[in-house]
Amino acid sequence: MRITFALAGLVLTATAALAAWKLAPPGKTGITSGFSSAFEASEDFQFDPPAAGSYTLNTIKTAPNGEVLDINGNKHDLLDITQGKISLVSFVYLNCGDINGCPLAMSTLFDIHDTSLKIPALRDEVQLLTISFDPQRDTVEAIEAFAYPITSDEAAAGKLDWQILTTAGQDQLRPILKGYGQVVDRSEDQEKISHLLRIFLVDREGNIRNIYGLGLIDPRLLMTDVETLMMEEGRL
Amino acid sequence: MNRREFGALATSALALGVMPFRASADETCQSPYMPMITGHEEYVYIWTLGVEGMGDEQDKMVTVDLRPDSATRGQVIHTLSVGGRNEAHHAGFNSDRRYLWAGGLDTNRIFIFDVHSNPAEPRLHKTIDTFVKDSGGCVGPHTFFALPGRMMITGLSNDDDHGGRTALVEYNDEGEYVATYWMPTADDMQGAVAVDGAVADGYGYDIRALIRKNIMLTSSFTGWSNYMMDFGQMLQDQEAMKRFGGTMVQWDLHTRQPKKVFSVPGAPLEVRFPWGPNANYAFTSAALTSKLWLIYEDDAGEWQAKAVADIGNPEDIPLPVDISLSADDQTLWVNTFLDGKTRLFDVSDPHNPKQVYEKQIASQVNMVSQSWDGKRVYFTSSLLGNWDKKGADDQQYLKAYDWNGTELVETFQIDFYEAQLGRAHLMLFGSAALYS
Repeated sequence: MRITFALAGLVLTATAALAAWKLAPPGKTGITSGFSSAFEASEDFQFDPPAAGSYTLNTIKTAPNGEVLDINGNKHDLLDITQGKISLVSFVYLNCGDINGCPLAMSTLFDIHDTSLKIPALRDEVQLLTISFDPQRDTVEAIEAFAYPITSDEAAAGKLDWQILTTAGQDQLRPILKGYGQVVDRSEDQEKISHLLRIFLVDREGNIRNIYGLGLIDPRLLMTDVETLMMEEGRL
Repeated sequence: MNRREFGALATSALALGVMPFRASADETCQSPYMPMITGHEEYVYIWTLGVEGMGDEQDKMVTVDLRPDSATRGQVIHTLSVGGRNEAHHAGFNSDRRYLWAGGLDTNRIFIFDVHSNPAEPRLHKTIDTFVKDSGGCVGPHTFFALPGRMMITGLSNDDDHGGRTALVEYNDEGEYVATYWMPTADDMQGAVAVDGAVADGYGYDIRALIRKNIMLTSSFTGWSNYMMDFGQMLQDQEAMKRFGGTMVQWDLHTRQPKKVFSVPGAPLEVRFPWGPNANYAFTSAALTSKLWLIYEDDAGEWQAKAVADIGNPEDIPLPVDISLSADDQTLWVNTFLDGKTRLFDVSDPHNPKQVYEKQIASQVNMVSQSWDGKRVYFTSSLLGNWDKKGADDQQYLKAYDWNGTELVETFQIDFYEAQLGRAHLMLFGSAALYS
């Protein structure tokens, strides 16, 4: 049984984009440098992103560990997931209806996920991790349903990985949010959860190398940073 | 003047999740990364310099009740002394607005106050005592500008010669050091371009950013050897008077790399970007030349700097200090320390500001903060411990006014000396409504 979410519109959008993409698959080689060029500029970001590798991304802090659940209900140490690949970690809740909140983050992540088909270098090096901060409602069953467009994507093999994760409860969630610095305020009205939109760039060693908030959720910027990290590692 | 609607980015940048954290009342010159207060500001936090022989003589965070229906409105409801005197100066919230960072220009200590657990009673969360060591020699933590998960701090000086050469220093929200970015100098431009013969002096003061343009601007003041000197003595010291900043630097916000150095003579201080979606400029005031400057993007997409108005009579050296731009970008409050006046400029045409109002606040005035709707304006008095006036002219206060569109009408004032508190400097608004 499919559950209807506030983010369902985005899922449909992504599915439509996927269908369109299949009609016009990318060339075999794809984009090997200048990852940000694969994304269209938005009027919200009136600048050209800096050239990848022309700057340094400082280590802001160490990404925390914690116990998460995947869409099959399997338990994982978060560090086991974040270490080994460059990760873009986001926190959402599936009932979020604020266009400047979770849907904005998810829209950007769907864009990156789909466009990664054009950038083969991303597939084995980079992953998207989306963690719910509403474990009561975002159960394993709920995130599994939400992840359906991703898990059923026939083109998934050519794209970077995207995992939707939740936790068993607040006790498991709390240290993850605290470690990342993701503020979440639960009001008495449990339908709405106040939070600051954040996406975290985590390197292969588990260090947070950038934090994006509103005004910075530009896929070109995120991909420029990812490419910068890959150049730093000598993988490009 | 034409009043236009705020831009989509201005409001969206302020949104806090799904809760209606739309801006409706707050100071207008904060980091756009942080949430704004919904409704009336409830408290004002005043970073206050301790004075020898007065009260406990220590620097303190003073909380004043601003709640409209409160029985204690207009009264000091809490003070928190930090131990000793540090030359308390500026302060700023972190990007989730739960913590207030406040600096001491002399001791280089940084105090991080928890303002969310009980907004009426801030408590000291952490003290950073290693700013100079962390940063590799930066001195005088001044502006605290919130970035997501981080705090960018401007320095005023250095521990080599205690002059004005300084740096930007970045910490994470936990108060752990991240990086230092030294200001470009003529000897080391770091890839920046000097505009119209500007000579990069390496000085620093304020910092603000225009996110959608990926631009960060810094201004320049003076070093420890001057800001800790007696004001009268410094004015007589010709060598000291040469040691003031005369530049502004345009940075790439994302990479933290300097791009352009502008010549802005006379110590350009506070930097204020507008909120409008197509407003590509910033204001600053040059203290020693009493000029209002505009840093703007020209038709070719290049950023430029030019003086656009006198502030008072420059020959009188009124010494412009804090400025506050209204949320609709139409008016700018400009304080001048030495004559104790505030002036309101119509800046609807930012290239041609016109003064439309003037009022004597006291014998001296420094900081000005206005509510987001522009209807309430607050003033405090202290510039620097050794620069404030002497004797009866050393008035130290918080004064609150209503702005009715025509004039400022005083609603209350607190005499900080009578209350044995000290010298009132930076103001920041707080509200319990920010935290559910």
